[in-house]
Amino acid sequence: MSAPRIHGIVLSGVGGQGVLSLAQIVLEALRRSGLHALQSEIHGMSQRGGSVHAQVCFSDVPLTSPIIDEGCADLLIALEPLEALRYVAMLRMNGQLVVSEEPQADMEGYPPLDDVYAALKRVRGCHLVDTEALARRLNHRQAGGMALLGLASTFLPVSEGVWHEVISQRFEAKGARVLEKNLEAFQAGRGLVHDPVGV
Amino acid sequence: MAQSTLALGVEAVGCAAFDAGIKGAFGYPGTPSTEGFEYVEAMIHAEPEDRLAQWAANEKVAYDLALGVSYAGHRALVTMKHVGLNVAMDAYANSALTGVRGGLVLLVADDPGMHSSQNEQDSRRLAKFAWLPVLEPSTVQECYDFTWRAFELSETLQVPVMVRLVTRLAHCRALMIRREVLAPTGLGLAPKETIQDWVLIPSNARRRYLDLLAKQPRMVEALSSMNRLVAGSGRRGVAVAGMGRAYFQQLALEHPELNAMPRLEVAAYPMDPGLEPAFLAQVDEVFVFEEDYPVLEERLTFQRAGKIHGRLDGSLPRTGELTPRLLKNALGLVTTEGQAASSLDLPIRAPRFCDGCGHVDAYEALQEALRNLGLADARVFGDIGCYTLAAQEPMTAIHAVVEMGASISMAVGAAMAGQTPSVAVIGDSTFGHSGLPALLTAADSGVNVTILILDNRVVGMTGQQPSQALDQVERMVLGMGISEAQLQVLTPLPKQHEANVKALESALGHPGPSVVVFRRECIQSLRRGVLKDHDRELRACVEQVGCTPEVRP
Repeated sequence: MSAPRIHGIVLSGVGGQGVLSLAQIVLEALRRSGLHALQSEIHGMSQRGGSVHAQVCFSDVPLTSPIIDEGCADLLIALEPLEALRYVAMLRMNGQLVVSEEPQADMEGYPPLDDVYAALKRVRGCHLVDTEALARRLNHRQAGGMALLGLASTFLPVSEGVWHEVISQRFEAKGARVLEKNLEAFQAGRGLVHDPVGV
Repeated sequence: MAQSTLALGVEAVGCAAFDAGIKGAFGYPGTPSTEGFEYVEAMIHAEPEDRLAQWAANEKVAYDLALGVSYAGHRALVTMKHVGLNVAMDAYANSALTGVRGGLVLLVADDPGMHSSQNEQDSRRLAKFAWLPVLEPSTVQECYDFTWRAFELSETLQVPVMVRLVTRLAHCRALMIRREVLAPTGLGLAPKETIQDWVLIPSNARRRYLDLLAKQPRMVEALSSMNRLVAGSGRRGVAVAGMGRAYFQQLALEHPELNAMPRLEVAAYPMDPGLEPAFLAQVDEVFVFEEDYPVLEERLTFQRAGKIHGRLDGSLPRTGELTPRLLKNALGLVTTEGQAASSLDLPIRAPRFCDGCGHVDAYEALQEALRNLGLADARVFGDIGCYTLAAQEPMTAIHAVVEMGASISMAVGAAMAGQTPSVAVIGDSTFGHSGLPALLTAADSGVNVTILILDNRVVGMTGQQPSQALDQVERMVLGMGISEAQLQVLTPLPKQHEANVKALESALGHPGPSVVVFRRECIQSLRRGVLKDHDRELRACVEQVGCTPEVRP
């Protein structure tokens, strides 16, 4: 019997950007797709504008470890470019990186943006998303996260219907308008062309 | 049909406690334990007829509340983080001697790697110290199942039972399958003939200590099915517990050859003393994977020195969390070559104060007042909360942070040693937690100490839980013996800066103890409207009954 394949997703960003919320959507979507999934998150001081990251592991067999080893992640979803670079070594050689171009640079020593973008473009399977332009086009300031999820969703074994179910459940309490805007952002992300800028 | 839902490990403990029929849940917030209490609190508040959930002023109070519920014959849960157990240790260690009536379960969440703590102490050691059982789950489902088991064991053995989690499990979210919910039912008050068991005067305590020691073999027996030896081939074995067990199990999925290794799987303590010799007889070499202190590893090393690989022999780092990579390296497995780490220098993105936080205004006023008084090397004793962030560059406004409530006592001690004026900074919730007795001593000492109470009206850092000191701070300060003349209440806002600096200069200049309360609600709780109902009731009370705002409605 061959060993089962264990998949890993890393999500990263800055406290307040909604990293943990996205991770929970991914976890729920995988679970509804009949997969065994675990999520790991670190709370606490990280809520105060520090780096935040979460991991989701899944497989078709029951899992016990909520964290994956370096070099084993299939997908990295980063809401912020510098926070993507921190976790690049988590990616396997043929992994995918879905990352927002929008920096959160209100910190000491943020590197020049051109250097950050250049470093990201050296990552194999990097998809740099201009979330700012997308948010403007959709007239939805916080569209970025859901759009990144939309693009990332195309790499995951979850049907479009399940994604919609989970997103609807997540946002229905906030009203039809909020839900509609989030589904729109998700679909916009899903429609982005697979055009890795990296190698 | 069994309900299943996604939950964090700590939430599964809270949920199981509810399902197992607890009457009361108590706790003090502290990462990574907080959500465990919040989960059960939400369940209890949804149907509050027969049960209650209450944050306590500190962990010791929480523990004693739970012990009181147990005395009255009901099941109780108490939750805290590892360092909180230090605060509750007096209650915990002595409740081992009194024993319990209704099942009493203590959820403790350890923080190896110190994600948000000042140390990485291992609560298994404290359970051993108190001669009490501790269960160590490794998955979310085990968090749920072991908590049920803990209540049953607690009532069978008549002792409190600890469920010990670590950060990775506490904050692991996975599927939890629930059992049928038990309604809270009581065993009735501790019977009259057992009253002396609960009165720990020396004559009773000597007897109860012997009783506790006599219970040890019963504990071992009751827990024996939770620990097991798995036979294998070859002379290399592994001993695993907690997350070490979880990581190894998953590694064995990817590397099926690992399943052939003889295994000692530990999930509960005290262990059967025969288990380790039986295991060691099967192997020449052992790898020990456990989270935090080398508890199992030391036991195995005592029994046979050499070829026990873990944190003590350098096969694993001496400190910090376990990771799958560390296990792979120790076992000599090939690791996957992934993408190269970025060569760019990546500065740390440290947590910082929220924009508009009142703590910043308070610190700016303090720093300017100290400068104006020519106190270039003033040392400020800080405490535990969001305001601890002021220790970081470039602010460096506090110069010592040790444990809850230390700010006031350390400042008084330093003042006694001649370091004056001496300054302490403490939050309202930490003040209620363990600052009160320190302030009593400060007032009594008469030394030149200035105590800043940063009152943001909530427990800010852990998620804006209600502070026990809400609307009570001035009365508490006066009650501890600080004179009205030496108590000032200020608003930390930029437009009040000049006035606040002056007020602080006067407090610092006073030769005896003085207190300055900086009060402005946490902007996160304000945004979420945490205190909206409370404040509306408060205003209505003032208008209708004419009571003063410092009295709770």
